[in-house]
Amino acid sequence: MSATGSFHEGVHLVSGDVGCGKSTLALIMAGFFTLSEGTIERKGIKSCILSLQFPELSVTGLTVAEECASWGVDTDKILDSTGLHGRENESPLSLSRGELKRLHLACVLDQEYDLLLLDEPFSSLDCREKARLCDRIGYKKGDGITIIFTHEQNILPRVDRIWEISGQALVDCGRPPDAFFRWRHVPPVIIRLIASGQTPDNLSLDDLREAECRIHG
Amino acid sequence: MQDPRIRIAAAAVLSLSAFISLHGAAAVFLWWVVFTPRCRLARRFPLVLSLVLMIAFFSIVLEIFGGGGLSYFFRMTVILLTGMWIYDEQKSGEFLAAGVWLFGQKTGFELGMVAEMGMQSLVSVAADLERIRMAEEIKGISWGVRSLVPAGLVLVHGALVRAEDNAELLAVRGYQCGGTLCPKFLTSTSDIVAGVFVVVVLIFSLVPVSEFFILYR
Repeated sequence: MSATGSFHEGVHLVSGDVGCGKSTLALIMAGFFTLSEGTIERKGIKSCILSLQFPELSVTGLTVAEECASWGVDTDKILDSTGLHGRENESPLSLSRGELKRLHLACVLDQEYDLLLLDEPFSSLDCREKARLCDRIGYKKGDGITIIFTHEQNILPRVDRIWEISGQALVDCGRPPDAFFRWRHVPPVIIRLIASGQTPDNLSLDDLREAECRIHG
Repeated sequence: MQDPRIRIAAAAVLSLSAFISLHGAAAVFLWWVVFTPRCRLARRFPLVLSLVLMIAFFSIVLEIFGGGGLSYFFRMTVILLTGMWIYDEQKSGEFLAAGVWLFGQKTGFELGMVAEMGMQSLVSVAADLERIRMAEEIKGISWGVRSLVPAGLVLVHGALVRAEDNAELLAVRGYQCGGTLCPKFLTSTSDIVAGVFVVVVLIFSLVPVSEFFILYR
């Protein structure tokens, strides 16, 4: 796979089919894999956090409380935000995949970072949690560079730039809404809205609803 | 070595030869030097080193409390090298093909499938371990003795979940016993030569060393 591009401050979305190399690209950006050719230049990046796709592989604590502590975050705050109060002494591996993902993302997003890489953050989450995560990412905007690697098509946050992996290469589709016309993985709902003559400003549910309202007057 | 039948049989016989006697282990080591692509092991050097260190630990304990630790260390290291060789050479589906060829479509298929699942599980565990170490690096935890318990729990949990998924998949597809497979094998001259020398190694390991070295008597 080849990739060329500059990621500036803001939220970036990297889309692509399952197995196209999104996770590999995330691991390369985090510095875990070496490049066969070329370089990665990091300007002003002092801290980088990668959220792995499978949350159970990030578990290092024997209890939920220990797991929060291993991230160096306020346990009570995380338990409150994830609805896991009363389960702090349970093993993180006894939580459902969705609960564990929620806990993992809450711990990751509570960190201070210059570069945040989220590998498939929406997997295992229900619609409500996906929407909450989008709000959380939007809230953190301005804190550095956030790159979301996902094949999610329905619930997405407002982003500053869209990229896609196509034909084993990373393609810069540009900024929304112009990017929607170059993006091969554009969600079906946006295709429908464009066909109706109303291009949404961005990808968030609010933007889609606003475009929908314009159709119906 | 191309033919999995010769390779599997060679690995079994070489392990047995190394286990039977010290001079047998020396002969197996010579066989390993001559007939295997040793340079591939260099890629797995950290893993080989950690396993050799583990064997060394038990050898020292054995030497102190019962004697024979050095012999144990050498024989187990040679068995480890043989194991690494077969693990490196093995391709997906070869155990199944060899099982069906040896024991038929019912028992052979079952045994081959179990072996394939075992190999698949090993590959998954290795991949999981790599991700666990990445997660620890992200959290700023250095790999050590304290990591072993949580990492072990995650690995066992992952293996159990995968086993359950496989069992469900087989049940859903109506699998009961055996299957149909027409295995095909490629046998090169070098496979036959290596196989013949495996038999020589076995015979050598069974014959007392004093039969070869008259001065030893």
